[in-house]
Amino acid sequence: MALAFTGSLAVPLEPQNVSIARANNNEALAVHAPNLGFIKGEPLVRLKDGRSVRVDLDLMVLPGPGGTAVARARQTFVLSYDLWEERFAVTQAGTPPRSASYLTANAAEAWCLEHLTIPITEMGKLRDAPFWIRLEYRILDGNNTAERDDAGGLTLKGLIDALSRRPKESGPTHAVEAGPFRLRS
Amino acid sequence: MRIKALLALFALLVLLLTAVSAAAQETEPPEGAKIAAAQVSGFDITKLSPGLQQDIGKLAGTPLNRQLLRELAARLETEQPRYVAAIRTTQDADGSARVTFVVARIRDQDRDPNINSKYIVDTVEVKGVPDRDISPDLRQDLQTLTGKPLDSDAADRLDQRLKSEFPNYDISRRTSRAKEQGHINVVYVVTKAEWARWLRFEPIDGNALFHSDQGWGAVLPLTISARDVMVLPVISWDTADDLIEEYSGFGVRVESRRLGTDRLGFFFEWSTSDPEWREPTLLALALNPQIPGAYGNRMSVTPLLKFAFLPQLSVAGGVGITELEPLAEDLLIPSQMANVAIGSVRYHQQWGRSSKNPAHEAGAALTLRKGTSSLESDFSYDRYVAEGDYVYRWGKQRVVVSGMGGRITGAAPLFERFTLGDSRTLRGWDKYDISPVGGDRMFHTSVEYHVHDVMLFVDAGSVWDTGTEKRVRFSTGAGFTRGPLFMTLGFPINTDEFRAVFTMGFRFSITSTGVKKY
Repeated sequence: MALAFTGSLAVPLEPQNVSIARANNNEALAVHAPNLGFIKGEPLVRLKDGRSVRVDLDLMVLPGPGGTAVARARQTFVLSYDLWEERFAVTQAGTPPRSASYLTANAAEAWCLEHLTIPITEMGKLRDAPFWIRLEYRILDGNNTAERDDAGGLTLKGLIDALSRRPKESGPTHAVEAGPFRLRS
Repeated sequence: MRIKALLALFALLVLLLTAVSAAAQETEPPEGAKIAAAQVSGFDITKLSPGLQQDIGKLAGTPLNRQLLRELAARLETEQPRYVAAIRTTQDADGSARVTFVVARIRDQDRDPNINSKYIVDTVEVKGVPDRDISPDLRQDLQTLTGKPLDSDAADRLDQRLKSEFPNYDISRRTSRAKEQGHINVVYVVTKAEWARWLRFEPIDGNALFHSDQGWGAVLPLTISARDVMVLPVISWDTADDLIEEYSGFGVRVESRRLGTDRLGFFFEWSTSDPEWREPTLLALALNPQIPGAYGNRMSVTPLLKFAFLPQLSVAGGVGITELEPLAEDLLIPSQMANVAIGSVRYHQQWGRSSKNPAHEAGAALTLRKGTSSLESDFSYDRYVAEGDYVYRWGKQRVVVSGMGGRITGAAPLFERFTLGDSRTLRGWDKYDISPVGGDRMFHTSVEYHVHDVMLFVDAGSVWDTGTEKRVRFSTGAGFTRGPLFMTLGFPINTDEFRAVFTMGFRFSITSTGVKKY
């Protein structure tokens, strides 16, 4: 049991409905994970307080479950919540930065995934073989809530915080793996 | 979107034209010229990632490669999406090249990734501290946010300045709609940091654990707390980790750490529990009639007042009223009262690195419980406990050193007697083997070394009765901890018998020693 815990650095997510698709004129691999749900909890509170939240998304192509990544793409997105429109906006860091606004939470997450693609040429032999997908996200911005009370006590938030491996400032990495997939020629 | 793009392009063009016009008057170094120096202008280079800083620094001494420079500029823009970077290269008299990354903020407000930057800030308010406590400069700068679109960078910088002016406080920022459509209000909420409070809520050893010799048990507190008040219902199931008795019951604790002032607080606890007595305890009691006997239901009420002289030093005083009902088979015996006066001194200090993640943390407590007939107690005794712990953290490593000692004079009821050999003391030993009725003298020390989630420990201690042999026992072992989850495997050292004690479960307490606090 101890090995199982030390071996995993990421908080596993619930099984997701993950699917793949070709993007960029069939030259890139994209994923759909409609239930990824990173706009929730503390980041959502922060967003609704009118602040922005940065999220790192990391997409990896693996030869099998738990395998080493053969190809990967990482992108940072900045989310914010329009206080008057009550909709989310996303900006993709980079040059030129791309952005979208007036999105629901689900649409904002989907937009991020749409802009996280892996060129199929980077997949090597896995272009013609079954492969797995690993999708990770990490909320980069810390929260400014008060520190945990001194008292011991069973609180759900405390339990989640305590079980999270990384400190609050960077947030834990959440991950989901799915497969096998195969690209249609 | 087209206007946005044009504005961004315009900013970039201005930069490029500036660079190009300057370069036109100077000689462009050829590709491959040795780079004498590379620098970033217009931006604090320390805000870039260490990798990028290093790569820019490493340019000096290498041949000029414009493609590489373009890649570095692109990386800079990726890291700082609100900035554009142009490359300027000049040639020195000796033919070497100088590289400058000219960085400028894009003025297009829509490039601010926070969508609310399009709204006009009506008011900026600081809640939690009086205006007079904020420096005039900062007050003035806070107001510069008003009357124009939200500048999140400026708002972030003001966050930092508030943190600098109020280092003992937590700062949070909330933005909300103003009355007028398209306008917003900004509020900075300043609250005293938990570690800087004069009084702290008392820790409770909440746990759900398994001990290979003592079985399962749990003390489950459910914290309901506001900033100054905490209500803590507690349920216990078959717990045998802190007392000689194994008990189940429930209780409630109410605490306030502000009674008119942050220095004064109160603590109140009521609990009722039904103990079960293990066979070794009953046998030992039969052999030691001078020790007060087993009881049935135990009900306690503990009201205390607390006062802090300093945030690091506080005292508490009050009474503990405990009624011990006779065992079911002794119903003719009246219940007994174990009433005590309580006095306690606490010390807590942390220092080094940040307040939220201190390098050093030390705590100590000295508690006296005095049972006296003047409080209508049927037991007359004094119970002293001194305990202390020190934690040193560096990187992923941590050393915890703790120690405690206790002494009872007079005839104290069983729940007051000291025990060792549980999930936190003399791990590897079983308390019912060491001293099944506890002792009136005790000392214990422990050293733990944690690296990542793995922990190694050495425990040493002894519990004995006055006039009997004092045997110091040692144990060592290893454990795994992650948040509240823990597992330990402890081995007694100075014994003829090879045995191991395994404990596992959840622990929600921050105390490192096992003695009850009041």
